[in-house]
Amino acid sequence: MVDLDALSDDDFRRTVREWIEAEYPEDLRNPPKRLHWSENQVWYYKLAAKGWLCPGWPKQYGGMGISAGKQIIMVEEFERHGVARTNDHGIIMVGPLLIAHGTEAQKAEFLPKVLSGEHIWCQGYSEPGAGSDLASLRTEALSDGDDWIVNGSKIWTTLANDANWIFLLVRTDKSAKKQEGISFLLVPMDSPGITIRPIWTIDLHDEFCEVFFDNVRVPKKWTVGQVNQGWTMAKALLGHERIYLGSPKLSGYALGRLRDLAERMGVSDDPGFVDTYTKLRLEIADLKALHATYVDVVRRGETLGPDVSMLKVIQTELFQKITDVMLDVAGENAGLLDPMEGNRAFNPGGLFLQARPSTIYGGSNEIQRNILAKNVLGLPG
Amino acid sequence: MDDDRTDSIRLIRDSAAGIAPRTGDLRRIRALRFQTPGFDRGVWAQMCEMGWPGLLVAEENGGAGQGMGAYCALAEELGAALAPEPLIGASMCASVLRGTDLSRLLDGSALVLPAWQERANRFDVGAETTITNGRVTGTKLFIPGAGGADLFLVAGRDGLALVAADATGVSVRLEKTQDGGEFGTLVLDGAPCTPVAGDLTEALDQAALAISAYLLGAMDRAFALTLDYLRTRQQFGKPIGSFQALQHRAADLKIQVALTRASVENAAAIWDDGGAGRVAAVSRAKARASDAAMLVCRQAIQLFGGIGYTDEADPGLFLRKAMVLMNMYGSAALHRARFARLTPDEDDI
Repeated sequence: MVDLDALSDDDFRRTVREWIEAEYPEDLRNPPKRLHWSENQVWYYKLAAKGWLCPGWPKQYGGMGISAGKQIIMVEEFERHGVARTNDHGIIMVGPLLIAHGTEAQKAEFLPKVLSGEHIWCQGYSEPGAGSDLASLRTEALSDGDDWIVNGSKIWTTLANDANWIFLLVRTDKSAKKQEGISFLLVPMDSPGITIRPIWTIDLHDEFCEVFFDNVRVPKKWTVGQVNQGWTMAKALLGHERIYLGSPKLSGYALGRLRDLAERMGVSDDPGFVDTYTKLRLEIADLKALHATYVDVVRRGETLGPDVSMLKVIQTELFQKITDVMLDVAGENAGLLDPMEGNRAFNPGGLFLQARPSTIYGGSNEIQRNILAKNVLGLPG
Repeated sequence: MDDDRTDSIRLIRDSAAGIAPRTGDLRRIRALRFQTPGFDRGVWAQMCEMGWPGLLVAEENGGAGQGMGAYCALAEELGAALAPEPLIGASMCASVLRGTDLSRLLDGSALVLPAWQERANRFDVGAETTITNGRVTGTKLFIPGAGGADLFLVAGRDGLALVAADATGVSVRLEKTQDGGEFGTLVLDGAPCTPVAGDLTEALDQAALAISAYLLGAMDRAFALTLDYLRTRQQFGKPIGSFQALQHRAADLKIQVALTRASVENAAAIWDDGGAGRVAAVSRAKARASDAAMLVCRQAIQLFGGIGYTDEADPGLFLRKAMVLMNMYGSAALHRARFARLTPDEDDI
């Protein structure tokens, strides 16, 4: 087997690209919606069999153990080919969490089952009353001998209807300051007292769920890290998210669809359109340049500062702006529920709606601007 | 505005409240979504009983003889209720039909919908459809409510004709729209028809203004829902409406709603006074209403946060209605271009 770490970046990129092109299912490229396990497991198992499922995990735990720079190359190549996200919470959240904070027993129990696809994880963070203000979460775990008894509910749980385990933030000390009474629990989804309700989004997809906990008994051995220290661990995991949400890939994809649509509608040469389109191209080019400076920070193995919030704001608002223009160009077709002429390349309404939540999830753009104003600019208040 | 005009507008708003209330839940609207024909025939019959399709029709022809002021007030109320019944299309037909054809449309026994458009992004009746020897051939696009039509009023190269939906040589293909309704594509292949005198030029402008008023009603209600949410949703221990960034955004949306109302009502008044600038005024109103409705509804989703992105929350219903109407009867860009053509720019400086 090739020692991937020994390859030059260019050779590594070529190796990854060739394998994706040969192995990735053509019909799963650039899907218009987040895929369910039933659709994406074929790719999950291929990655697992190749040993490429967990690029960021150390080799001793079954990961690829490659450098940050090579991990970025993999992400770039996946994005370039339009590879869909798998049910990857075990890979990108639970794995790194346990490797950093888990007991040996927890690592032995859970990491192999992520690698095999036996455990599919979902994330229980947000609650109906705790969205932007996540630290005010109220789902509660009360101590009862060797167990916790969990009551409450979680919302926006992505693909909970596919998962058999959930990682949860729960309140374990109501008297402490709100960030200091939170713990991290691992809970099987088939525990008595858990119910799931899919949430239909405005584009009529059931990507999100609400999960209810009614006296759910959870063994204390599945607490990750110290009791009441969950917030710090969760925040460290969320920090990683912003550089991915700031990737120019999504806007680049949308711009390509805008170009297709403009050609189809016969406005490609219209001077007004050309100006608007060029403005968007320049926005993407500048976002790419800015994004690259943050990628360099990660590549050097350094920690990203709070200013990475800029990427999330720029990318998501650009993505939305491009889809706004798509509706303008589409004429009456803007109102169609399904892609025009049955062609997924012409789906202005679908892409427009798909872009809506990007300024809300992963920390709303209002919250990102608060971070920029307070933690980056140091403004008072 | 004179008192008679104000009174008739108030009356029409009151009567609208009985059939399509602007408050209350949207269960009726949700239940009708994504099912042919996308509206309620019983409610349509009630609207006919109220005389709404004949609102603009002269009294001597069996209509109510009202002006655009009253018609826009009605359309605004329907927009606030997201009513899917095909009033605006039927009203276009009522403006040119006469005799039995008109009375059957007005009494609700035969729904007639206009079929004028042959390409996307067009706002004229420059048709290629041919009407010869009582036969009509051509293809018409983007007909909302087509699945419920008994007849189509077809615009051809040489005039208008009435075609029965179930006649030989007529086929209707339906495509679902974001608001839960349908666009019909009407394919006519030598279908039997009866010629109708007149043309749809004026009716098209009236429809564009009525759509602007409908969008005004929809955005106004979406904005009201958003304000309620800003007042009640608590995060960080206080209502989110207490955060200045969101207060400023709400203020900006209010400005757009106010400008749209001013533009629509001004255009209706110019129309009713028979002013020379009435066609340009329609374009001004539609350009404003399309852009403002999309802005207000997009921001409604953002300000509701995650819950705004769910189908069970109401802001999405308003956004998806605006997606369908923003480019119908001319997009904002199309109407800006028409305004520029019609109006030398020293006029309003």
